[in-house]
Amino acid sequence: MKKLIPQIVFPLVGLAIVIAAWQAIIVFGHVQPYIAPRPGAAISAIFSKWSQIWPLTWTTICETVYGFLAGASVGFLLALAMAKVSIINKMLYPLLVFSQAIPVIALAPPLVLIFAFSMTPKVLVVAWIVFFPVTVAVVDGLAHVDRDYHQLATVLGAKPSRTFALIELPAIVTPLFSGLRIGATYAVTGAIIGEAATGGGATLAQYQHDAATNFQTQVVYGTTIVMALIGIACFAVVSAIEYAVTPWQRRSTARRRKA
Amino acid sequence: MAEILLSVREVTRRFGDTVALSKASLDVAAGSFVALLGPSGCGKSTLFNVVAGLQSADEGSVTLKGVDIAGRTGHVGYMLQKDLLVPWRSVEDNILLAAHLTRGVTPMDRVTAREMATRYGLGDFLNHYPHALSGGMRQRVAFMRTLATNQSLLLLDEPFGALDAQTRFEMQRWLLDVWESAQRTVLFVTHDVDEALFLADRVVVMSPRPGRIVADLAVTYGRPRTLDTLTSPDFMRLKAEVLSLLHPEASR
Repeated sequence: MKKLIPQIVFPLVGLAIVIAAWQAIIVFGHVQPYIAPRPGAAISAIFSKWSQIWPLTWTTICETVYGFLAGASVGFLLALAMAKVSIINKMLYPLLVFSQAIPVIALAPPLVLIFAFSMTPKVLVVAWIVFFPVTVAVVDGLAHVDRDYHQLATVLGAKPSRTFALIELPAIVTPLFSGLRIGATYAVTGAIIGEAATGGGATLAQYQHDAATNFQTQVVYGTTIVMALIGIACFAVVSAIEYAVTPWQRRSTARRRKA
Repeated sequence: MAEILLSVREVTRRFGDTVALSKASLDVAAGSFVALLGPSGCGKSTLFNVVAGLQSADEGSVTLKGVDIAGRTGHVGYMLQKDLLVPWRSVEDNILLAAHLTRGVTPMDRVTAREMATRYGLGDFLNHYPHALSGGMRQRVAFMRTLATNQSLLLLDEPFGALDAQTRFEMQRWLLDVWESAQRTVLFVTHDVDEALFLADRVVVMSPRPGRIVADLAVTYGRPRTLDTLTSPDFMRLKAEVLSLLHPEASR
């Protein structure tokens, strides 16, 4: 219960301050609703347009999740290959940096030429964004496993495969999750950029664009909030999984097990 | 005379032009407690690593129960100043690490590990994660892990070097208790004269440039060792002898 105040109450207070400031700017600055809506109007727009927003949101969630899973898997396997085979590391590291130097929005046209207006280009854009922080985190994590653990395992006569499974893999759980959390936060950005850049079709990005064209400003803001909520949810899910799989970071005892 | 467990014969190890260890010979009787004492650079860690199999010898031989083990791992228990407990494994699972890394843990291993840990005062901590333990407790777990390898020879490299003086003394007495009942052979590296003389049956004094064995002293007083041991005339006499070997330039 002691943790409840810093972990739940303080963030809510921070959020309330931001919303109050938003409200104050609109009210005291006499901002017209078609330029920028009040927070209440933006949020109620989500509810009034829910039947249109939800199917599009679901599509975006699918793109985000598929892309995240694909990017995280590829990023993780790539990192293992790079950490274990130095030739692969030397060949791929510069390419990895190069891959992230490409503006994400510029990925869309070539992908559309290959995959047309399906979900695939969006998923690939998400994967492209997600794999990089995961790869970097895991490669770094494996490089920083204390050499003395390897030495200990060697002296004990350990099999390399068991050293990998029992020492190295658990040791990279924490860095892996820092990579995954960054990836999860950016994943929805990738999905929306993918939707916007491939253009056309029934997507959340297109819906927001249409709302802006029609000066339905409160809908524009409502859509933005929905997009942000997807990102927050992804982050929360990844953090919850990390919490569940790393009991040693918060508990002082392990669960009892039978002999 | 007990059977010879470990036999080091004329072992030399060079790193480039530096002779880290020069013609070191040492016989360790089964069940004995031998301290390797010397300043840094005297080759004690090199000797330790050759016996552990982490480094090969340029010359000479290392045999354990008559079998050549030079440069070959998996034949000794091993413990360092860093406890190297694995943070995501409970105390019990840390004790079982060697079994898990080599062949897999059997239910029998678990029972043995729990019995052993309970006998030596770790019973209440079997399910704890290492971060919840004090430095002294962590070293106890690390030593239990070393014991659980079931190797007859245990190599300990300054295992208590990072502990405060009171905890260290407590750990030394605990180690002697365990060693006396577990019937293992210990090769204990240290640079602390009192520690070597308090724990060991024999103190092997080493000297740097080139690293070599300069003396092999039998500790004359018996066991059990107590607080009084540390101030006994025999202890003082041996300490004076060891100090003059370690600092020939300062003695006159």
